[in-house]
Amino acid sequence: MRHVILCAFAIAGFVAVAEAQTGGAAGVIRDRQANYKQIGAAVRTINQQLKADAPSIDQIRQASALVADRSARVSGWFPAGTGPEAGVRTRALPVIWQNPQDFRAKAVNFVVAARALNDAAQRGDIAAVRSAFPTLGAACGACHDTYRAPEQH
Amino acid sequence: MSERDAARARIRVWDLPTRLFHWLLVVAIGIMWWSAEYREMDIHLLTGRFVLGLLVFRLVWGVIGGSTARFANFLKGPRAAMSYLSGRAAHVLGHNPLGGWSVAAMLLLLCTQVGLGLFASDEDGLYAGPLSHFVSYDSARKLAHNHHLVFNILLAFMALHVAAILFYAAVKKNNLVGPMLHGSRDAPEGAAGFTPVSPIRFLIAAAVAVVATLVLTRWL
Repeated sequence: MRHVILCAFAIAGFVAVAEAQTGGAAGVIRDRQANYKQIGAAVRTINQQLKADAPSIDQIRQASALVADRSARVSGWFPAGTGPEAGVRTRALPVIWQNPQDFRAKAVNFVVAARALNDAAQRGDIAAVRSAFPTLGAACGACHDTYRAPEQH
Repeated sequence: MSERDAARARIRVWDLPTRLFHWLLVVAIGIMWWSAEYREMDIHLLTGRFVLGLLVFRLVWGVIGGSTARFANFLKGPRAAMSYLSGRAAHVLGHNPLGGWSVAAMLLLLCTQVGLGLFASDEDGLYAGPLSHFVSYDSARKLAHNHHLVFNILLAFMALHVAAILFYAAVKKNNLVGPMLHGSRDAPEGAAGFTPVSPIRFLIAAAVAVVATLVLTRWL
């Protein structure tokens, strides 16, 4: 009898751990998506300001700072188990975890590009922001083309 | 020449601007689909401006263009459409009462599609329609989803359009593609002839289209 009870506890324990892990993965994915949305909106703001007749350096500064901050955190957003196997809707492709070195290299490129842009923005140098922006766009695209599934409408 | 020969004479049905609009739109929609599918957004945004210009041109041409291009001549009430379906209606040159409404629906869908594209934005914030700065990121994303949805409705309409043309060719032995290419067809019995308009009107419609496109995509 005692063995049965111990077994039941053990099973309950496993289930609880497994559930916590799934909840954890779902939470990681949710946060990741929310952060990427913030990056997208901030990049859009910079893009719009660069196209405006009188770009707002304040808006560019704020948005660039956000992108630079989030970029440094990207490599922490993809712990093992937060791919499609998590059972939550995510467009993160399994190749992220199959090519970790390349993925990390691309994440580093993003950090470098975002910092260059942010440095220019904090200096108030709109011409430098303008010339740094395409590099940032290319860094976004390089990762998304390989590691993100196409959008499902 | 007998009366019957005279009745079967070749007459003009579509003027050159209407035909140019139609075939340029066909090519442009192909480019729009391809560039969206393969993420060639610079091409997509440029071609989108061209489609906007084409649509403005067609709307103006529907008021001042040749007789068969005019909305007033092909947008008839539901009774006319029913009478055409029952086969009792008189022959018409140009869009029949039912086809006229499908043209209107197609133009409305295309205007909706271009309108959505003007305000839409991609998720990475790198590409946006020329009026997207008037709406928030979240709104621009919703509009982008609707832009995709309306394209699927357009696809269904285009399939219906092609199916109707095949039906006319196979069942009614009436080739509709030729006249849209060269502009002429056998004169339908008893139908009013085509009334052409001066080329100056074409220049006016083209000028309105260019100015409206520039205002919407550059100067706002």
